[in-house]
Amino acid sequence: MSEGRPGGGRLTVAAVSGGDLVVQLRSTLDRAAELVRVLEANLAAPTQAGEPRTAAERVVELESRLHAAEADVKELAERLVDSEHQAGRLMNLYVATYQLHASLDPEEVQQTIAEIALNLLGARRFALLLRGDEGEPCEVALAEGIDDDDPIYGGGRYRGGVGTVDATLDDGVLRVARGGGEEIGEGEVLAAVPLRVQDTIVGALVVLELLAHKPLLRTEDRDLLDLLSAHAASALFAARLYSAKDRRLRSLESLVRLARGA
Amino acid sequence: MKILVVDDSKLMHKMYEVMLRQHSLVHAYEGRDALTRLWEHENTDLVLLDINMPVMDGLELLAERRKDARLQGVPVIVISTEGREEDTARAMELGADAYVKKPFAAGELTDAIERITERER
Repeated sequence: MSEGRPGGGRLTVAAVSGGDLVVQLRSTLDRAAELVRVLEANLAAPTQAGEPRTAAERVVELESRLHAAEADVKELAERLVDSEHQAGRLMNLYVATYQLHASLDPEEVQQTIAEIALNLLGARRFALLLRGDEGEPCEVALAEGIDDDDPIYGGGRYRGGVGTVDATLDDGVLRVARGGGEEIGEGEVLAAVPLRVQDTIVGALVVLELLAHKPLLRTEDRDLLDLLSAHAASALFAARLYSAKDRRLRSLESLVRLARGA
Repeated sequence: MKILVVDDSKLMHKMYEVMLRQHSLVHAYEGRDALTRLWEHENTDLVLLDINMPVMDGLELLAERRKDARLQGVPVIVISTEGREEDTARAMELGADAYVKKPFAAGELTDAIERITERER
């Protein structure tokens, strides 16, 4: 971007700042368009007397400045699209994080995980797996678009045998099928997202199918999957822990009331 | 603009709050609740309506809107889910003004709102 151009001054774009950046870019784009109009008017106007350069030289110079301005407009338009994209990505991450930690009700947290998968990720079929005791199969805490008699995820238990999922449960690596998952084998998954509480792998979110109008997982979806990996399990475990403690507290209070009444 | 947001998902309500922070939002979590809000807020400019909701769904709400002259003038954008195209088509038959498919970018929603706003002028 050139500096000290006529009609505008230096273009400044703040670091990622969401909607404000979009507004700033729109304003800059308007200024650039105004500059193009001024240059076009100058080109059409007759050469002023007393100028040392010839009219032909001035036309060449103005044309050059016009091309520069047009290039700036194009660049700004591209940056506007990029910043809108970035703002959308940050918005999704903010909303997902906010809502994951907005409740200590386990059912509500599970519902939020489902809503993130459906509404933000565009997943049509997915399952949330949580590890149980040693040697026990994973619990299917949440299943969307999966029949109860599904041979792998049905009946509330994950029976294992899906290479990607088993590997992710084992090593905690986020795995996303390449090329939108067109080449994945039968029973394989679009994404296996490890769920961590501190450094322990406590389960996985398994994405089996996306909505038809969203053919593949995009780069920004990876950020959302990373966020789910870090936050979903801890939010769910915190809620379950709180719920268990709350139940125990109520039982103790009932016992105390009973003892006092007796 | 005053926009009534009707959706049973708290996540989506939060999303609308962030996306549409320059507008005044009224929130409802199902159709009956939305009807009450529409009667309370007669100056509502637009409704963003999810279809799948408990108690009274979006299609039932659109049918009720048809019967009430006071509500007919309020434009409705349906927020639809892929795989339920028949619901989207039914919503348009019942008088919805536009639809946006989930998941959507902020720009898609604001474009739809701008188109409706321009048309209403």
